[in-house]
Parts: sequence; structure tokens; C-alpha cells
Amino acid sequence: MSLGDFLDERTGYRKLTRELLDEPVHGGARWAYVWGSALTLSFVVQAVTGLLLMTAYQPSATTAWSSVMYISHELRAGWLIRGLHHYGAQAMVVLLGAHLGQTALYGAYKKPRELNWLLGLALMGLTLALALTGYLLPWDQKGYWATRVATNIAGSLPLAGAAIQRALLGGADYGHLTLTRFYALHVGLLPALLVLLLAGHVALFKRHGVTAREGAVAARTEPFYPRQLGRDLAVGLVVLAALFALTLRHHGAPLDAPADPASDYPARPEWYFLALFELLKFVPGDIEWMAAVGIPLALGGYLIALPFLDREPSRRLRPRLLLLAPLALAFVAAAALTSSSLLADAGDSGYQAARVHSDARAARAVELARRGVPPEGPLAMLAADPETRGPELFAQRCASCHRLGTLGPSADKLTAPTLDGFGTERFVLALLDDPDAPELFGKTPFKGMMVSFTRPPADPALAADFVPMPLEDRTAIAKFLAAEARGTPRPGSRGEILIKQHCTSCHRFDHNPPLDESSLGPELRGWGSLAWTTAHLANPGSGASYPQGAMAKDLEGHMPAFEEELSPAELSLLASWTLNEAARVAP
Amino acid sequence: MGNDPANDDGDAKAPRDAVEVAPPREAVTVPSPRDAGQVMPPRQVAAVAPPRRRVLGVLVGAGSAAYAGALAWPATRFLTPAEAPRAEAAFVRVVRLDALEEAVPVRVRVRGDRRDAFTVTRELTLGSVWLRRTGNDVTALSAECPHLGCAVAVTEDRKAFGCPCHTSRFSLAGAAESGPSPRAMDPLLARVVDGWVEVAFVRYRHGSQHREVRG
Repeated sequence: MSLGDFLDERTGYRKLTRELLDEPVHGGARWAYVWGSALTLSFVVQAVTGLLLMTAYQPSATTAWSSVMYISHELRAGWLIRGLHHYGAQAMVVLLGAHLGQTALYGAYKKPRELNWLLGLALMGLTLALALTGYLLPWDQKGYWATRVATNIAGSLPLAGAAIQRALLGGADYGHLTLTRFYALHVGLLPALLVLLLAGHVALFKRHGVTAREGAVAARTEPFYPRQLGRDLAVGLVVLAALFALTLRHHGAPLDAPADPASDYPARPEWYFLALFELLKFVPGDIEWMAAVGIPLALGGYLIALPFLDREPSRRLRPRLLLLAPLALAFVAAAALTSSSLLADAGDSGYQAARVHSDARAARAVELARRGVPPEGPLAMLAADPETRGPELFAQRCASCHRLGTLGPSADKLTAPTLDGFGTERFVLALLDDPDAPELFGKTPFKGMMVSFTRPPADPALAADFVPMPLEDRTAIAKFLAAEARGTPRPGSRGEILIKQHCTSCHRFDHNPPLDESSLGPELRGWGSLAWTTAHLANPGSGASYPQGAMAKDLEGHMPAFEEELSPAELSLLASWTLNEAARVAP
Repeated sequence: MGNDPANDDGDAKAPRDAVEVAPPREAVTVPSPRDAGQVMPPRQVAAVAPPRRRVLGVLVGAGSAAYAGALAWPATRFLTPAEAPRAEAAFVRVVRLDALEEAVPVRVRVRGDRRDAFTVTRELTLGSVWLRRTGNDVTALSAECPHLGCAVAVTEDRKAFGCPCHTSRFSLAGAAESGPSPRAMDPLLARVVDGWVEVAFVRYRHGSQHREVRG
């Protein structure tokens, strides 16, 4: 007795297999019948890859992004698994459309298959809910903001809206419990319901059989195996190959920067919700839910009603055209809205710039995270990174007056010195040559306060005695100050001696003269160094950089103190980034 | 798919596979009411000739195997982590030499940075070691029992080390004296620099005679 006989005697598996394989296919095997099987196979891919992702994913606001980063960039084949899951979800949406379209065109929703049509619609709802809940789980900008929008729509529903939103979020705000709730839905409740309904769907399908195309009806019937099964499998393989191709092409699934509630992010949903997203642009906020929830509900309601509206036994297409027209219309409208949304974004330079910024932040976050994320999470990691936080702070606090690299106002709107090259020899030489140049003090309240060491003063009486400082001396001063700025001072050098001879009648040096003097020139000891610059940002009139008088309120346009707005860590980070960036973009 | 449906059909006077004689497209026409949902008797027509059926069967089998393999291969790789590159254990400062009494075993904590998957925690207690001073030298023993990893303590009489879990007993020099431990306590590299004791903290696999670094 073979093992097969042993098992068959006890389970009867052969009869069962045969029943499945010999399932009659009315009208013969057709490519049109493959969509249901292709969907089921795709769900298998989602279940397998999803289970694998569960072994590494950690749903909490401080770990979710990092664990997804770890899956995508550190674990072996993690990028592949996540890519298959990501594109598999989109494939399911496409296949759903094909399955629904084929069923509607063939009139397969008609009596006696109405209930199976309804089960199919419920399965569609579950699949879209899985897509929506899965989108949040990486806790990246994209998922976070898309979910914020989606849950705010739920919150705008009349009566129960606020309660629904609170239940979804697990509280008043987005955080740990939002993630665990979406996770429980995504890996627990929704797939369990989907499997249950799928079993019912398949059982009812077996009961009624495939709906042959009108005209070819039952002309010939053949068993499911081998030709229909072969076709189903072939399409399944093509879909899987497409998932592999997409995953290889993009090296896995995208991962945006960690979710940051305080950031400006150009939120967009996944492509299959873009039509709804676009629609919301045209709907006033107070009736938004009517569009965002009402239209999908109306469409769903129509789909539910379809088999009961269309009671004609014939499945010929022509008499049904009128009934199918609203579906076609909805499809065309969705396609139009989707392309309109894509076109709008493609032509929107602001959106493109925001996208580039977000992508750069995402790339930097991954680069940092691969070295290790602190227990406080990826946002703390980014906040401590000068390359990320520096330009952001500069853009927020400095760039309305100062120019540095690509940041800051255009040349005609400058009200403070351009900082390119600040702290370098060339910068000092330019100051000694023409301090009132437009990119130096020319457009600031300090215009006319510093003298040029190469050009005679405007006053003819003073000009008569003017002797330009030799280049050699200016270079020595510049070298000395640039060394101070780099933090490698050269005390006692010729530059220092020259400064004491020529500059200290206006400038302070080693805190001389004392602060109550009227001179407004900044301290030159340590000029442009990290300590000097940090102190300057904290309070430019503290005496550590400029004396108090230089920042007096009556000097309109003076630099503000940031010590109350920024933490000491932020001040030092901003100073350090600004100095590095100034040296990097030096002319 | 080794079952041949023709063999067990009670009513299969003519085995289904053999029915097909005409070209498959114009196969036997079965008069049928417009399909109104009745379950069709499944044995009317077979559309595929046996040789072709066999080829299709092989193709379907190969396709299924390919499908399963395409998922199983990445899954296996994903679930079997690569061995971490073994970094040279760095010496970590643990205690001042002055704080150690001659020949008295003292347990000290080792602090350092720990990487757990993606999280890096700074200055965490990584584990503890037993130190014993001999003049200006210090010997260090891992406080993990080589048997199954419980924390080894000094016995009440203070003349030996003992494991509280399975009662392995070790001499103060670390040699295994009794109990199930397969080897002596694990020595760690220790040195004295500027009056500080430094230890190179590593962990070894438990339960084997050989001392093998845990990656």
C-alpha cells in the first residue's frame, strides 16, 4: 500500500482533488475566466510576503519606520519581500478591476449569482481597506499624511464622525495606538474576513459554475484541469513576473522620510485613490464627506443594486448597456480625475520642489538610520543631524535676510550680508576692500560704519591723509582671522599684531574695550569660530560677538536673538552647519 | 497530479479523455438550456486529447513549482540572517584598579553601546564580569555560566564560583569543578591602563566544550 493509498483511505483526498480539477467549465476554457484565480494567487503572494514582513516589522511610532528601513536595506532579500508586497497590493487593485469588469460585461451577476456578486463586492471593499491600512504601516511621510487625510474625512462625517476617527486613531492624536490598530486590522481582522468571504465566494462559484459568454453558452464544456487551470496559472505567473520586474526595477518599495507631524509635506494617496483626492479639490470643505464618502458609497450602492435592477434572464450585452453605463461613466470620470491630478502635479513646480526636498530627506534618513537609530526614534535622529536640520533651521530663521548658497532672498532683497565664504581669507579681504559692497554691509544698518583699507574716504579732508594698507598686511590679517574662524588660531602672528594696530579703535579684541564704549565693531578674537557664531546666533548683542549697541532697536533691520526660540543644541547645530556650508559654497 | 480520472468514474463507459475525436474547437455540442444556473453534469465533453493533456499536465506542474519556488527562495533568505561580521572586541573601562582588593573576586558591570537590529543605544549595561586582582594584574572571567548562560555568583564560603541554576561549581580561577558545565568559565582579556581596569567584553556560545564567540 502506497502512502497515497494510505492517505486516500483516511481522507478521500483523491476524490476531492478530482472534483476540483474536473470542475466543469461551460463553454470551454477561456482567458476571460482567469481573473478570479489570478486574484486568489495574488492574495497568496500578499499572505506569504505579509507574514514574512511581520517577522521583522515593529508597529510603534518610534520603531515602525526604522524597522521598515531595516527590512528594505539590511535584511537579506528584505527589499524583495517588501517590493513584492507593495506591488502585489497594487496588482490586486488592477486585477479587481479586471474581475469586476469581466463579471459585469458577461452579466455574471444575474440570477442565480446575485449573492456571489455581493460577496465579490464585499471582497473588493476588504481589499481596498487592506490597501488603505497597509499604506500607513511604514509610518513614513507618505503613509502618515495620506492616513491623516483619510481619517480626517472619516472624522468629518455627520453624527458619528468624531467617534469613528477617535476609534481609528486609538485616541485624539496619531501615534503608537494608531499604528497598532491599523496593524491589527491589516494583519488580523481584514485578512481573516477576506479568507472567510473568499471561501464563500469560491463555494458559490462552484455551485453555479462559470458564466459562459452569451452566445457561446454551453456549446462545449470541459473540465477545469488542464486547460483552464493552465491559463489561470499562466496569468498568475505573468502577474508574479510583473511584480518581480517592478521590484527589481525600483529595487524594492519606496520608503519616504520618517513621519513628521511638524513638516510641510505634499501628501498624495496611492494612485487608485487619486481620483477621490482630485475630486476633493473641487468640493467645499463642509460638504467634503459627501464627495469623499458619499460618491464611493453611491457607486457601491449601485453595484449592489445592479443584479436586482437587471432582472432580464438574457445576458446579451446590448439590452444591458444602459444599466452598465453609470459604471462606465464612473470609470471614465475616475480616469479623467486621475490624469488631471497627475498632470496638475507634473506642471506644479512647487510640488516638484517639495517632492525633491522630501526625497532628499528620505535618502538622508536612510543613510543615517543604517548607522543606527537612537531609541527615541528616527525623528530625533534627523533633528540631531546638521545636514538635515541645518538647512531647515537656516531657511526658517536666517534666510529671510541672509543669503547662503541657494538659500535666502534674491540679490535685490538682501538686508544682511551674504554668507558664502564667511570665515575665509577671501571674505576678510573683501571686507577690508569694500565693506559697503551690496553683498556685505551695503544693504544693512551697518553701512558706512566700517572703513575701507584700500579706498580713500569720501570726505576730502580725510582722503588727503589716506594711505591704502598694503596687500601683504591685509593678507596677514585675513589669514589670522580665517585661522580664528577655523578654530586653529595663530596667536602672536603678524596678523594679530596688525589687528591690534589698525582695528581696535573700532573693534573689540579680547573683550577690549569694555562694553560700555560706543564702538559697534564686533569682537575679533575667535571671529567666525563655532563658539563665536553660536553666541552670535543666541544673542548678537551680548558682547560675545557684537556689542549691545550694534543691535539697538533704532538700528532698523538689526539681527534678532534666537536664544529663546532655539535650544542650545539647535543653536550650535545651526552655527556649525552654517559655517561648514559657508566654507563649502565659498566663491 | 497522478490521478487518472478515467479509472474511478463509476459511469465512465467511455473514458473521458478518449471522447475527444473532433478538433477541440468544434467539440461535441451538448444541447442545453440557456445557462440559468443549473449545475452542469461534469462528464459531457473533454476537450483535450491524452498526449496533449499530459504535456499540459507537466506544464501546469512546472508552473506551480516555479510559482512556489519564486516565493520560497526569497522567504528562505529573508528568514536566515547573514552572520554578522565579527568585530574585534574593544577594551572598555570598567573600574579603577585601586577599588579592587587583592585576590577578592569582584563583579563589575560592563557598559557600552549596544546595537539591536536598527536601534543603537548608547552607554547601556551590556553584562558583567568577575575581576580578580593579583598585584598590578587583573584577571577577568565572564559572569555567564558556560552551561546555559545563567549568572555565576561567588559561593557563600567565598571559596568558589557557583551557578544558581544547575549548580555548576568553578574554582576562583574559573576551572570547572563539579556540575553540568561542559567547560571552565570563559576568560576575557583584561589590562590596566592609567590606573583603570579595561576588559574586552565578548560573549561565548553556551553548552559546548569549545569556546566559540557568539556573533
